[in-house]
Amino acid sequence: MERLMSHNGLLQRMWKHRFAYAFISPFYILFLIFGLFPILWSFYLTFQDWNGLSPMRSIGLRNYTALLRDSTFHEALSNTTIYWIVDVVFILSLGLLFSSLLHNAWLKGGKTFRVVLFLPYVTATVAVGLVFNMVFDFNSGLVNSILASLNLKPLPWLNSIEYSKVPVMLLNIWRVMPWYMLIMFSGLQAINPEFYEAATVDGAGPLQKLIYITIPGLAPILFFCFLTETIESFRIFTEPFILTGGGPGASSLSIVLYLYQNGFMIFKMGYASTIAYALTFILLVISAGQFFFLRKQSSLLEDSSS
Amino acid sequence: MTTTLSSRVDSRIQQKPARRIQPARVLVYAVLIIWCLFSIFPLLWMVGVSLKPVTEPIGGLNSMIPQRLTFDNFAKVATLLPLARNTLNSLIVASLGTLTTVFLCALAGFAFAKYNFPGKNILFYVLIGTMMVPPEAGIVPTFMIMRWLGWTNNYLSLIVPRAATAIGIFYMRQYIGSFPNEVMEQARLDGCSEFRIFWNMVLPVVSPALAAWGTLAFIARWNDFMYPLLFMTSKNMYTLMVAISKLPVSESLSTPWPVIMAGSVIAVFPLVVIYLLLQRFQVSGLQLGAVKG
Repeated sequence: MERLMSHNGLLQRMWKHRFAYAFISPFYILFLIFGLFPILWSFYLTFQDWNGLSPMRSIGLRNYTALLRDSTFHEALSNTTIYWIVDVVFILSLGLLFSSLLHNAWLKGGKTFRVVLFLPYVTATVAVGLVFNMVFDFNSGLVNSILASLNLKPLPWLNSIEYSKVPVMLLNIWRVMPWYMLIMFSGLQAINPEFYEAATVDGAGPLQKLIYITIPGLAPILFFCFLTETIESFRIFTEPFILTGGGPGASSLSIVLYLYQNGFMIFKMGYASTIAYALTFILLVISAGQFFFLRKQSSLLEDSSS
Repeated sequence: MTTTLSSRVDSRIQQKPARRIQPARVLVYAVLIIWCLFSIFPLLWMVGVSLKPVTEPIGGLNSMIPQRLTFDNFAKVATLLPLARNTLNSLIVASLGTLTTVFLCALAGFAFAKYNFPGKNILFYVLIGTMMVPPEAGIVPTFMIMRWLGWTNNYLSLIVPRAATAIGIFYMRQYIGSFPNEVMEQARLDGCSEFRIFWNMVLPVVSPALAAWGTLAFIARWNDFMYPLLFMTSKNMYTLMVAISKLPVSESLSTPWPVIMAGSVIAVFPLVVIYLLLQRFQVSGLQLGAVKG
């Protein structure tokens, strides 16, 4: 009897909040149709050979075994890992540097600096990618003509295996860094300025302030930036697509570009889905690892502060 | 504690000479200015080359300034692409996409922030969890779904799927959380419906957050590339980004750089101009309390 009552109570509370469910429902409905359903179907596709038109052919784990042996995929994976590490290191450290510089209380024109420094994030990757194509061109590009004027050898930036990743990473860092700069800047404003004053009085230099005040104070935001930029840089697509098409060979190919080529250029839909699942698996492992690391870290911080 | 601190600060300040050029500060300005130049350089280069006749060289640093100004390249782009139509497509997709996402994210964020409905925590964890899964995981079936719905070459394919995003709801929930409950109670006593409370009272108060989120959504949708590339396959339905990405190989021979740059200018500058006009709304509303919550 009592359980029935509490059950009714739950239903009553749910009925009372029916509008709240209605308010949040668009996200969940859209996620079911355009998120969960495709993801589950995609999992089914990893066991199929399918070109999108003719009937599917079940091939068991052959897509997975093929992926493990596919040297092009291995190259895409190692390229993407390089993109991830280089982009995260440069984007986060430059973001921290410029947000700290902008945070200086004595800085004049800070607002103007912020507006100009944020501009790259507003500009389209595609359009700036085309500019980079022109600037890094071997024969007529600006970069090589500057190198020539310094009596240095021109480099085949976009069409050599050694250098093709450089413009891709540079474009990504150039465009995305301002976003993290702005997030860190708003985080810095939440740090009590008295900490910095006290440190100045005690004779701490900029580096000591960075290590003992800024980084601990920004820790949750730095973690957030690290996590989101990890996911974003593993999803890199537009930069290699515009600049190099993944080439020469597969030297600048990224995982998502390889996925796109398989799924939408040669219509190996089952294999493309397998690549998509490999990407998802990698990202879930990295996210889980980061959460684990953060938990250890934060308990460490609590212990030392008490 | 505070008194000793402030007196120590005072004594320090008194010891300091009044005005002196500090090398460290000069260095800070120099670094900022250099990165500012680096930030605007590709844009300047784009504009400079787009105004050159196709016959002028584009190599050296000095070639950024055209010797003879011409708008021919812009006319040439317009013959290669249905430019007005592409611009209209980008505008429709970006503005409708922004309006829907701002409205639906604010509505859901409001519900999560202000009501204690059964299952709220679980639903919220699900929402956060969806952020960890890359959208590419289901990209192949998503494409098939769009075909079945008849949404390829249709604005709906770019507007509807991302009309409510997890990160947007998360951000709005943080911001709306500080809206006073007492005001809502009073409104309820006066006979306001819950949606009226949201529409008439909450939305005006959180308008800085709406502007900040709207700016970001508009930038993301205007610059979006992969989805329009997949879902828009006819020339008339290309967004600007897809259209200019096809410029280098249009007419089956290589398009001259000044013409490509003219296309890029058309794709980039509407957004840059809007950004500069609206920069007072700039992400100032985006106090990333959102992250800490």
